[in-house]
Formats: sequence, structure tokens, C-alpha cells
Amino acid sequence: MGLNIHTNHRMLFFIPAISYLVLVYLCAVWPAMVEMEAMEAVPKPFEDELPAIGRKLYGSYNCVTCHTQQIRGDERKATDVDGVRTTPVLTADARFGRELATRAEEYAWQDPVFMGTQRTGPDLSSTGRRLPAVQWHYWHLYNPQAVSPGSLMPPHRFLFTTTPPPPDEEFDYEEVLVIEGLGVKSDRLWATPDAKALVEYLLSLKREHLEQGRLAK
Amino acid sequence: MKIPVGIPVFVAAAGTNPNFAKMVSRWLISAGVWLLFASVVGLLEAFRLVDPEILADYAWLTFGRMRPVHTMTMLFGWASMALVGLAFYVVAKSTLAPMHEPMKKAELFLANLAMVLCNVGVAVGAVAMAMGDVNAGREYREWPWYAMAPVFVAVGICGLLFYRMVARRAVEGIYISCWFVMAACFWMAIVVVMGYQTFWTAGIPDRIVDGFYIHNAVGMWFTPLCVGMTYYALPKLLNKPIYSYALGVLGFFTHLVFYTVIGTHHYIFTPLPMILQTTAVICSVAMIVPVWASTGNFLMTMKGEGLAISHSYSLPFLFVGVVGYGLASVQGSAEALRFVQEVLHFTHYTVGHAHFAMYVFVTFLIWGCIYGLVPRMTGREPPILLVSIHFWLALAGIAVYVIGLSVGGHVQGESWLEGEPMMESVRVSAPYMVWRAVGGLLMVVSHIFFFVCLWRMRPGAFTMAYAGAGK
Repeated sequence: MGLNIHTNHRMLFFIPAISYLVLVYLCAVWPAMVEMEAMEAVPKPFEDELPAIGRKLYGSYNCVTCHTQQIRGDERKATDVDGVRTTPVLTADARFGRELATRAEEYAWQDPVFMGTQRTGPDLSSTGRRLPAVQWHYWHLYNPQAVSPGSLMPPHRFLFTTTPPPPDEEFDYEEVLVIEGLGVKSDRLWATPDAKALVEYLLSLKREHLEQGRLAK
Repeated sequence: MKIPVGIPVFVAAAGTNPNFAKMVSRWLISAGVWLLFASVVGLLEAFRLVDPEILADYAWLTFGRMRPVHTMTMLFGWASMALVGLAFYVVAKSTLAPMHEPMKKAELFLANLAMVLCNVGVAVGAVAMAMGDVNAGREYREWPWYAMAPVFVAVGICGLLFYRMVARRAVEGIYISCWFVMAACFWMAIVVVMGYQTFWTAGIPDRIVDGFYIHNAVGMWFTPLCVGMTYYALPKLLNKPIYSYALGVLGFFTHLVFYTVIGTHHYIFTPLPMILQTTAVICSVAMIVPVWASTGNFLMTMKGEGLAISHSYSLPFLFVGVVGYGLASVQGSAEALRFVQEVLHFTHYTVGHAHFAMYVFVTFLIWGCIYGLVPRMTGREPPILLVSIHFWLALAGIAVYVIGLSVGGHVQGESWLEGEPMMESVRVSAPYMVWRAVGGLLMVVSHIFFFVCLWRMRPGAFTMAYAGAGK
């Protein structure tokens, strides 16, 4: 039998297995450990309760399927001026990110990371700054086509209710301003606590900390 | 006669252990059921990209949740279960195991157990995600851990069984199909462990693991299994040796080296370490070597066999699958390049590529192997007319789908580069969403024909009656 992999099944099993483990270490485990150290140097950001719940719902409704949260930059053309590193933003992404490409520290401690791989809808990394109106988000979640004609976003009507919330839970709900074209069959509409949390999360996406950090430097 | 119809099929099937044939069929029929289920879900999603109001009033049916139900069920319910089922037969045959007892009783029990575990995992995963327990942002592992756990155990069991079957082979040499099958099970086990580990779940480390997982789950599981199956089925159905065995070995090792490290090409232009990005781009291009070592090998084996292919009902599937493998992989290499990413990343083009690879390459090869090999195990052939309808509907469907999304993706990407409003990119790519739905519809209809054929090939009275003949 010998050590010939053509005839020795033990060798045939172990050679690809061990080679694979070595490669996995080199291309995934080791870089992950190095980046983990870099991430741990970034202070853990303070997270409000409501946006944190909203973030979980963002994952649960799997919004990341169609929405990215990353502004791509071309690292090869990056410049260092007075110790401030600037990475030029790709043309396609400029509308969402102005002059700032996403940096590693923006994702620090985010679990999971909603970078996304598909942009069927717009990038959401600075929604809170682009679209700060709470009511707009409620209308948009209830009937995306009403405020954004031609949109492919699925309506999330199940996050709203037309029956008045019970008095002891009133605080958790928020009334939605019923506008024309929203398609509500009743005079009044309430956002459920879930909708409230989800919108709070979307509004919290501002990349403000980065801009502030930049200005401070 | 090289065409596997009629008497040669009966002869090949005679003496096959009926319990073994039933076990393999259970894997394949489970896969067929998941194919039907997942493609209906996929079709629903395709129609929703034309009209988002379809079935929009239920949280559990929402687009975001159904999308991973479609992808995960296709990957683990359909492709994985079909390939593992076929692998049991191919490993048994290529190790020259006695077909009246290719596996011991306990092994058969374990193989059946793994089949049940796989089905449980796929079903639990689909229900859990519909209920909102989505491992979000982590593509192709959106299942919560408790759905992946039984599938992981099943992969382990199958790996052990394949190893044992190879270890007690009746020939000295180990055929290349067994190389791919044995290695794939080990690789996949590592990939799942990496995908569900809890050390690097935040920030950039999470994305490094994600890039690794996405591409290794595809490339170190489906690709080697598919290539392994084809290395057995193609020479068998053409009744001639493979063109070059050495090319197969070259393909195996270059695949191992290059495919493992290309995952970061899903994260070009991101803050992931530059060295990983560049390595991924270079090795993505280098993937041309293993891909064409196999594709070229298969094409050279098929050279001059046009008549046999056109008269067979299984070989056309293999032909399309082999060509699809070559083309989809070259497309993938090109997509990794930075200047291509600037236009096409995030667009519908990527979805078209994913379907090109998983459908034209993986699914067509699986169909070719099922139509070519299952009758040789059960002695029952599918109705040829239905196979033809299946073939042409599936081919037309995927062509409409991929062409539509490739053009649509370009249009979408160009619109972004022009700096037009986001909604403009949705508007200009809207017509191609109709192509997608039409293509999807054709594919779903073809799957119904496939399932009827698969059902007609299940082990029956013939398998039982002739079971003892080869003893």
C-alpha cells in the first residue's frame, strides 16, 4: 500500500484534510483573530434599548437580503493627509456615503454585521440622516409604493394595527398620521411596538460618530 | 450500443440489494420533494419582484424570510440530498463493492438515519426562518443552529460510511470520484463548524468568516460532489474511459488550494484586510485551472460521441451541466475582478450567476446522473417523453432567467454609475424581473415532470424479484 494516495485511503483522507485545515487557518482563522484584536481596541458603543430591539427585528425580517449597509471605497487610491486617512468612495456608492467609505470600526461589536451582498433597495447605512421623519418611515413600512412609487419593497402591514391599543399599553404604540394613498381601510392606524422599534433602529443609522471623529481630528 | 436503454439497464440493475436501492431512492425522492417545495417558494419571490403585493399580509411569508427558505432548501434539501444519495451508489460501484451487499446492515441503518436527519434539519430550518428565527446577514447559513445540527451529524455519518466503503474496496486503486466524495464530507464538516462557531461573530472578523463560509459551502461541497459524480457517470454512460485521469488529479489538488481562499471576493472594496481581498481576486482567476482540468476532461471524453449524446435521455443533461460548469466558473472568475465589481456587485447579475452555477452546473449534472444511474440500480426507466419535456423546459427556463438577469443587472449597475436616483435603477431593471418570473415558471413546471420521472424510477417489484440474481 505504501504512502501512495492512489492506493492508500488513509493518505487520501489525511492529505486533503490536513491541507484544508492549514488553508482554513491561513485564510479565515488567523485573519479573524488579528481583526478581532483590532476590533476589541474599539470601545463598545452604547446602544439604546429600542434600536437594539429594532436591530433584531431588522434581522428577523431579513431586510439585509435587499439592503446593504456599506459604502465601498477604493483602498488603492486612499490618501493620508495630516494623519487622516481618506478612502475615495466608488461612484456607484457616492450618493449614500458622501465622501466617507465605511471603515472597520463602524462595524465593531455589531453581531451580526448587516453589510449585505445585494442592493435591490437603497443602502441604509445613513438612513437616519437622509430620512429623519418618523412618520415617513411608518408610511413607507405600511405601504412603500404610497411614498415611493415604483418601489419593489414588500409592504409590512402586519406591523400595524387599526384596532386602538389597550389603554395600559398605549405608550408602546404610536399613532400613524393617515395620509391619502396609504390604503388604510380605517380612519386611524397605530404602529405596533415592533414597528416603533424597527423605525427607531433605522433612524439610529447615521454614521454620526464617524463624522464627529473626523472633525475632531 | 452505448445508449443505456432497455436490456443493459436490466442487466446492470439485476442483483442490486433492494434495501440499498431503497435507501438511495429515499435520499433522491426527499431531494425531489424539496426541489418542488423550494422552487415554488423561489417562484413566489420572483413574482413578488414584479408585484410586491403578492401574499404580503403575513409576517411569516414576507419576502425577506422566504428568500433564505428558497436558498437553504435548494442547497441542503435538494442539491445536497440528491448528491449524497448518488454518492452512495457511485462509491459502491467504483470500489467494485458486491452489489448484493454493498453496505452492511448497520451501515444501511446509519445511511437511512442520516437521510432522516437531513430531512428534519431542512424542515426545521424552513419553519424556524418563517417564524422569524433567521441567522440574518449570514448567507447560506440563515438557519438557526438547531436546524444545521442534524444536517451536520448527517454529513459526519455519511463521511464515515464513504470512508469505510472505500477502505474495503475490491480494487487496489481508489477512483477519482471517491477522492472528491470523501474529501467533500470532511471539508463540509469544517465549513459548518466555521459557519456556526461563536468566537468571531461580530465586526470585521464576522465578515472574514462569512466570505470564507459563503464560498467554501459552495465550492468545497457541491462542486467536488458534482465533479465526482460526473467522473463516474460520464465514462459509464459513454462506455469508455475518462480522457485523462491525471487531469482529474490535477483538478482535485488545484481545486483544494485555490477554492479555499477565494471567499473574500464577496467583500471587495470593504474594510476587510487588503491582502485577503487581493488573494481572493488572484485565486478566483486561478480557478480556471481546476475548472478547465475537469471541464476539458469531460468535454474531451465526450468528443466524437455526438450521436450517443443525442440518442440518450441522460447524456444531454450531463453535456449541459459540464458546459455550464466551465462557463459559470469563468463568469465567477471575471466577477471577482475589481473593475467588474464596480459595475456588477450588488446587482441582479450576481443572482443570475448564482443560478447559472447552481442550476446549469449543479442541478443539470445531478439530473444527468439520476437519469443515467438510477435505472441501472432499480431497473426502471423514466418515460422518455417526460424526460425530454423536463430537459427543454428547464433549459429554456434557465436561459430566460440568466439572460434576463444578466442584462437587467448590467442596466441596474450602469444606472448607479450614472448617478441616477436609486428608484431609476429599480425602474430600468423592472422589465427583467418579468423575464425572471417567466424563466422561473418554466423551471418550476419542468420540476414537476422531473418528479414524475423520479417517482417512476423508484425501486419496485423488479428490484425485489431480481435481487438475488447476482449472488
